[in-house]
Amino acid sequence: MSDKKSSEKIIADLLGHIRLSKSFMAWMGILSVSLVVCLYAYFLQLRDGMVVTGLGDYVSWGMYISNFVFFVATSLIGMLISAVLSLLNQKWAAPLARIAEIIALAFAAVAGLVIVMDMGRPERLLNVFIHGRIQSPIVWDVTVVTIYVLISTLFLYIPLIPDLKICSEKLDKLPPFARKIYTLLSLNWKGTPEQHELIKKSTRALAIFIIPVALAIHTVTSWLFANTSRAGWDSTIFGPYFVTGAFVSGTAAVIIAMFVFRKSFKLNEYITDYHFDKIGKLLVLVSLVYLYFNLNEYMVPAYKMKRAEAFHIHELFAGSHAFMFWATQLLGLVIPIILLLFKPFRKPLPILVIALMVLIGSWFKRYIIVVPTMEHPFLPIQNVPLNFKIYTPTLIEIGVTIAPMIMVLLIVTVLSKVIPIIPIQETLDHASETEQK
Amino acid sequence: MIQKKNNIGIIAFVLLAFLVTAPLYARNWKSPDDQKDKKSYLKFDATTASQGEALYNANCASCHGTPGKNNSLKSLNPIPPDLSTKASQQLTDGELLYIVTNGAGLMPSFKNILSEEKEWLIISYLRGFNKEYVQQLSKFDPAKSKLVKLTTTFDKASQSIIIQAIANEKTGVVAIAGAEVSLFVKRYFGNFQVDKSVKTDAMGKATIAFPTDIPGDKTGKLNVLVKMFEANYGEVQKTDSFDIGIPTDKPALNEKRAIWNVVSKAPLWVIGLYSMGLISFLMLLAYLLLNLRKIFKS
Repeated sequence: MSDKKSSEKIIADLLGHIRLSKSFMAWMGILSVSLVVCLYAYFLQLRDGMVVTGLGDYVSWGMYISNFVFFVATSLIGMLISAVLSLLNQKWAAPLARIAEIIALAFAAVAGLVIVMDMGRPERLLNVFIHGRIQSPIVWDVTVVTIYVLISTLFLYIPLIPDLKICSEKLDKLPPFARKIYTLLSLNWKGTPEQHELIKKSTRALAIFIIPVALAIHTVTSWLFANTSRAGWDSTIFGPYFVTGAFVSGTAAVIIAMFVFRKSFKLNEYITDYHFDKIGKLLVLVSLVYLYFNLNEYMVPAYKMKRAEAFHIHELFAGSHAFMFWATQLLGLVIPIILLLFKPFRKPLPILVIALMVLIGSWFKRYIIVVPTMEHPFLPIQNVPLNFKIYTPTLIEIGVTIAPMIMVLLIVTVLSKVIPIIPIQETLDHASETEQK
Repeated sequence: MIQKKNNIGIIAFVLLAFLVTAPLYARNWKSPDDQKDKKSYLKFDATTASQGEALYNANCASCHGTPGKNNSLKSLNPIPPDLSTKASQQLTDGELLYIVTNGAGLMPSFKNILSEEKEWLIISYLRGFNKEYVQQLSKFDPAKSKLVKLTTTFDKASQSIIIQAIANEKTGVVAIAGAEVSLFVKRYFGNFQVDKSVKTDAMGKATIAFPTDIPGDKTGKLNVLVKMFEANYGEVQKTDSFDIGIPTDKPALNEKRAIWNVVSKAPLWVIGLYSMGLISFLMLLAYLLLNLRKIFKS
């Protein structure tokens, strides 16, 4: 009897956030207005050309490409939490799997748009497919990002099928068309053992397959840099360096999402301090690995100080990019690691602040990877105006850079309003399992 | 004492430097008198000027700039003159032709690059910038050069090419004696002159020794170009080919599969890996869709 009551409570709790509240409307309003402002900046860029940005012949990859790398990076978290941890039987991560997957899908889907926004003539995008060379990392990147978006969608959708059935049955005050969509998407789900088995098999196949694909998207993204001989990019460890960096920014993004969802959807019983503690430890782990790669990435060229590399390293360590470099390394990596070693800092509020630091640091880290190298070509820059040599993003460019971030927030917000962000069926199964024990 | 020694050294150095670089500073575009009076057999008009403009833009403009715009390449020393100016225009047609043909100072010779006719076309274009210019045509009749017949034969015993120049005059066949003959081998860019120019003998014959080490195509074929010049008959050219080079079978660099080649010549391993990735994704997709169908049906 108590079992039945608690399962009803679980369903009620976890479906609680699927309704249109005033705060949701206000939040969506703010996001939409900001997006319109940023899209106006993009309109200006389309109308007047890339001249409205700070990009030029020398720094042709500025904020936009940094943004792209950041987006692809953050989207990798779906693979780490939903696939790797579940395959390793890390039960604590199960309630976070869907949040991670929503974040992954949102960032991966928008990453493609970021690239289009970097193009001066976006209508020529089709040429990548018509004239693309199979040898080019750009073609590989387009391919794997597309595949990753598709797989992430399926990875979100397939485990969701039982929950969609619950939504169509248990959600009251649902407009009939919405109920129809839920019923349609739940694919005749009846909860038979056969259906459970099929879901389990499919999820497992996806969880295994998504690992190489996720590694591929960020490794290929790193090859866009590492396959050139430019100082600062010409590195053999760029693939793993990017992948481990991706886990750092992704974990931080999930922590922020956990905090916000828990607070606004009143999920304190489902996302507990225990989860924050655990994911805090995970963040320490991935950050330590990333720190290790950072050490390699900067220590090895800094020891040899080859001519072009030396110039690059000096600019980062003590030159014009030194402030940003040390700020990202210390505030975005070293200090978070040290703080998170202590349990009190893994409580929800402190870890939120730390995760924000890490996420912002991650964005600027991408900037540090992309821009300084572009400012130091092998051939000396001569007889050009100062603004060609030193990259300064314009206001319009910053607006266009913020637009995709707003899009991610929009996607995450909308998804969190139409699907339960904590897997209901899994929580029910888990509850009944512990009951039986 | 040491000071004095140094001074001598400096003076010696300056003198030496002057001697070495003097040819660069000397305005040595003085042409021989017989060349100075040479006149074009082409009548300069709008057509020849526009043909000349294209040639000028391709060969001359990079240093001399656009005539009248004073935008010649200022980093050279001496600065190449703007050819529309009075200083340049007061040169005779023959002097201009001589400079283009042989070069002057830093200016290279265009002997092996442009035919005499093309040089005249360029001069025709340049004369368009001079309103006072009145052309004096050469008495030379270009139709005469059509009578010339050049024959080239390879003599294996002496490893040389024998050139014979004759003219089919109305009065009968005449051997062209004393004509200047040059032999070239065609390469990717421009021509490679074999040995020096020689004069034909009384029989109209000239012999030019041919090297044994010039790489030819797969069968050793070489394309040769013979140029003959004689005051009476003008310039005549003839191309021919002989299997006298070293057979060379080097595939072009872009013939093999390579990372940097076009997509149809992508390395097989790239195509293989890429397709494998794509196929395994499609297989997974098929498997998942099948499972979804099963869920729906059950």
